[in-house]
Amino acid sequence: MQSLRKSISSVWRALFGDPVRAFGVVSLLLLAVLAIAPAKEHFSEWHSYQNRYLSLIRDRGDAVSLRRRFQPGIQQVWLPQLGVVDRCATCHEGLTEASLADVHAQPFRQHPSIPHKLDEFGCVICHRGQGAATTVAEAHQSERAGEEPILPARYIESGCGQCHQNALTGTPHLNQGRVMLARYGCVRCHTAKLPDGSTVVATDDPPSLMHVADKTTRAWIYSWLKDPQAYASTATMPNYKLSNSDASDISAFLVSSSTPRVGDTAAVEVKFTAPADPAVGATLYGESFCASCHAVQNAAGNIVGGNVGPELTRVGNKAKPEWMRAWLENPRSYNSTTLMPHYRFTPQQVTIMAGFLEAKLDSDYGTNVHLDAATPQQIAHGKKLTAELGCAACHEINGVKKPENFAPDLSRIGSKALAQIVFLPGMEHSLPRYISSKIQQPRAFGPGLKMPQFTLTTAQTSDLTNALLALTDRSHTMPDMLRVAAVRDTNYQPAGHAGKLMADLACFSCHRINGRGGDMAPDLTFEGSSVQRQWLDDFLKNPNTLRPSLIRRMPRLNLTDGDRKELTDYMLAVYQSPAIDQDSEPLTTNTPAVVEHGRQLFYSRYACQSCHIVDPKTDKGYIGPTLTAVGSRLTPAWIYAWLKNPQALRPGAIEPNQNVSDEDARAMTAFLMTQKGASKQVAKR
Amino acid sequence: MPVQEYGIVERLRGSRVWRSVFRSGTGTSTLHRSLAVQQNIFLHLFATKVRKRMIRFNVTWFLGTLTLGTFFILVITGVLLMLYYHPSVPQAYADMKDLQFVVSSGLFLRNLHRWSAQAMVFLVFAHMFKVFYRGAYRTPREFNWVIGVVLLIITLLLSYTGYLLPWDQLAFWAITVGSNLSSTVPLIGNKIHFLLLGGNQVNANALLRFYVLHCVVLPLAAIIFIAVHFWRIRKDGGLYVQQSEPKMKAVDDAALATTEVK
Repeated sequence: MQSLRKSISSVWRALFGDPVRAFGVVSLLLLAVLAIAPAKEHFSEWHSYQNRYLSLIRDRGDAVSLRRRFQPGIQQVWLPQLGVVDRCATCHEGLTEASLADVHAQPFRQHPSIPHKLDEFGCVICHRGQGAATTVAEAHQSERAGEEPILPARYIESGCGQCHQNALTGTPHLNQGRVMLARYGCVRCHTAKLPDGSTVVATDDPPSLMHVADKTTRAWIYSWLKDPQAYASTATMPNYKLSNSDASDISAFLVSSSTPRVGDTAAVEVKFTAPADPAVGATLYGESFCASCHAVQNAAGNIVGGNVGPELTRVGNKAKPEWMRAWLENPRSYNSTTLMPHYRFTPQQVTIMAGFLEAKLDSDYGTNVHLDAATPQQIAHGKKLTAELGCAACHEINGVKKPENFAPDLSRIGSKALAQIVFLPGMEHSLPRYISSKIQQPRAFGPGLKMPQFTLTTAQTSDLTNALLALTDRSHTMPDMLRVAAVRDTNYQPAGHAGKLMADLACFSCHRINGRGGDMAPDLTFEGSSVQRQWLDDFLKNPNTLRPSLIRRMPRLNLTDGDRKELTDYMLAVYQSPAIDQDSEPLTTNTPAVVEHGRQLFYSRYACQSCHIVDPKTDKGYIGPTLTAVGSRLTPAWIYAWLKNPQALRPGAIEPNQNVSDEDARAMTAFLMTQKGASKQVAKR
Repeated sequence: MPVQEYGIVERLRGSRVWRSVFRSGTGTSTLHRSLAVQQNIFLHLFATKVRKRMIRFNVTWFLGTLTLGTFFILVITGVLLMLYYHPSVPQAYADMKDLQFVVSSGLFLRNLHRWSAQAMVFLVFAHMFKVFYRGAYRTPREFNWVIGVVLLIITLLLSYTGYLLPWDQLAFWAITVGSNLSSTVPLIGNKIHFLLLGGNQVNANALLRFYVLHCVVLPLAAIIFIAVHFWRIRKDGGLYVQQSEPKMKAVDDAALATTEVK
C-alpha cells in the first residue's frame, strides 16, 4: 500500500512535478485527443462500406468498368425543389450497376427497374428514412426530430401514390387500397383530401333506410346489426359490436322511423306456388345475368358472382315478398339512384324471379331472435345511438341528420409524427404498424372509440395501409409539375328520351361513355362508329357474348321494339368518333382476289389467329373477341382504323400495333367483312 | 542559455518594429517588467505584481481561469460553427445534419462547443461557490461579486439561447416551455414573451432573435463584463487569500513573483 502510493506520487512528480514538463505532457495529451476527430472520420461506417464494395468488385469480370464508375467519398443527390438531400448512394454504391444483378447482399444490391431516374427523385421520397445521414442507424431508424424511419418494402407503393393520383399498372396494392378506401365507406366518416384539393369520394352504395320497414323485418335488422357478415360474408357493412339491447333499440327506431311507400305494400297476391319446372327461376336468373353483379355462396362455400350489388345467398331471410316484387318490377321507384337496371320483366317473370329469390334462405338464420315490442324509451334510445354511432354518415335515416366531420381527417395521415401516436403496449413503434392495427382492431386503442370492426384480410389491410400512407405532407407540397391527376368521372348525361332510357337501364353501372361509368363492360363512347345497326338491334334484343372466356355478360333487358330503336338510333347518331369516316370505306363487296390476299395476311403475315378465332375448326385464339361474325358486327371503316392503330381508338387496348400498311389494312378489312357468321344465322332461322 | 540564441531574441526585441509595438523597452528590471504589463491593453487588467501564494492551486482551484479557457474554446468553435449554420427554419436542422455527417470533423466541432458550454456553466457555478465559501466576496470585493452574478446570468442566457439553434424537437419544446415562463410576469408578461420570440410562438423570428443574441449581443456583453471583472480583481487588491490559511515561509512572503509561471 505504502509502496503503491509512493510509486504513484513518483510518477506524478515525473510527469507534472516541473511546470515545463507538465506543460509538455498536457500538450501531448491534447494532441492525442485532437487526433481522435480525424481518426473517427477515417474509420467511419461509410468508408468501410466503400472498401467492402471495392473488394466485392475486385474479382468480377467487369472490375475495370465498375472501378471506373465508382466514385469515392460522400455521394449526394440534392433536389432543392423537393427538399431532398440524399446520401444513401454513399453506401449503396451498386444501385445503378446492371451487372451486379447477382449480388443480393445489402447495401450493394442493384435497384429494381423503375420508370424514374434515381438522381431525379432521390431515395427518401419513396423509401422515407433520413437521406442526409451517413450512418445506417441514423439513416434507417432515426425518428428523434420528426424524421420518418424507413418504410417496409410492402408499403413502398405508397411512395408512388404521393404524386400519382391515377391508377398505375405497377402499383396493384396501392390501387386496390384506394378502391377500398372509397368502396368500404371509409371516406363517409373520415375526410381524405387529395393534393389537388378534391376529396376522395365514396363509391359504395349504402341503401337508404327511410322506407326500410317495407323491405325487411325488425328481427332481420337486429340480426344484421349484431353481425352483418353472418348474413352475407361479403357484406361491406362493418360490425359495431353492439350489445343485444342496443341492437334491439336501434332496430326498433329504424322500423318506427320508416315511412311506408305505396308501391311496396300494395296488396299483391302473395302466392309463391312453386313453378311447374323448378329450373325456370334459375334459368331466368341465368339469362338475366344477375350473377354479373350479384354473388351467391355455392354449396362448396365459394362466393360466385360480381360485387356490384349485394350478395343474395340469404336474400329470402331479408326481403319481404311484396317488396321483392315491387323491386323487380322497377328498382328505381324504391331507390332512384340504384345501380340496378330496370329489367322489363313481365308480371309472370317477376313472380318467377321473386319466388326463386325468396327461396334463397337459410332456415337457421335468425331463428333465436325474439324481440319484444319496443317502448317509446327504447325507440328514443335507439335514435340517440343512431346519431352517436354515425349511422347517418352512410344511410339516409328519417329524423337523423348526416353528421359533419364525424371522424378524424386522414388527409395527412401518412406523415403523422410518431411522437403524436399513442401505441398499444408491446406494439412496434412504426406508422404502418399503427395504421394497420387501427384498421384491424380499431376498438383496441381505447374504450369509447366508435370506429367499427371491418372484416378484412391481412392483404386487404396492407393495401388499405398503402393507400393511407400515400397521403403525406410531401404529397401536398409537391411541385405541381410532378403531380399526375386522377382520372375522374365526368358528369356526362345523355340527353333526351334516350338519355332517360339509359338512366333507367343503368347503362353507366357497367359501361363507360364520355368519361363516366363503370369498367365492367366495354367503353361505348365511339360505339356508333364501330358497329352496324342491325347487329346492335339484335344484340339489344338478345345479347350474346363476344368473348367466350368472360363470365360476366350483358343481361337481357327485355326491351320493347320502340325502346330498342330509340337506343340504336341515338347511339349510332351520337357516339361517333371524329377520326372515322364511314364514307371512306363503304360497305361494298371486294373482289375475291383481295379477300384472299387479306386472308393470307391475316393468317401468315400478322398471325392474328394467335388471339382471334375466324374459323372455329382451326383457330384456337381466345385472348381477343371471336371474329366469326365480325363482318356483320363492325363497320369496315372501324376495322380499317382499328387495324391501323388499335390504341388510338381505345387507349390501353392489348392488341399490338403492328404498323399495318394502308394496303394490308384494306385487304384484311375486305377479308374480315366476309365473315358474316353465316352458319349461325342459318341455324337460327 | 546559448549566447547566439540570446542574441537573436535580443536583436528582435531591440528592432524598430518591436519597439513600435512594445514601448516598455527591454530589460529584466522590475521597472521594465511592470511597464510591460501596464502598457499592454490586455495585460493591464491584471496587477503588475502578484504574491506567489495567491496563484497556488489550492487557493482558487483555477476555476476562474478554467472558465475563461472554456469561453475561449466556445468563441473559437462558435465562429467555426457559424460558417456552416443558417438561422432559417428548414435549413437550421439540415445544417446540424451536415455538420454531423459530411463536414470534416464537424461532429467534433459541434461536440466541443456543446461540452465546453456544459463545462462552462458547471465551472461558473463552482467558481461562485468557491468564492462564496472562502468569503472572497466581502469588502472590498462586493462590487466584483455583483459583476460575477451578472456574468453568471449572461452565461446561462448564452446556454439557453444556444439551445434553440439546432432546431430539433428538444430545442423547440425547451424554448417553448422556457419562454412561457416569461409570460407569467405580472402585467407585461405577454409583452416580454412577444418581444423575446418576435411572435406568439417559437418560429422563424424566434430562431433569428436567439441566433443574434447568442452570437452577437450576449458574447459582446460577456467580453465587456469579463474585462471589468478582471480589472476589478486588480483594483480590489488581487486575489483574496484567507488569513487563516497557513502562511508560506517568510522568505517567500517577502519575495515578489511576476505573473509568469516560472
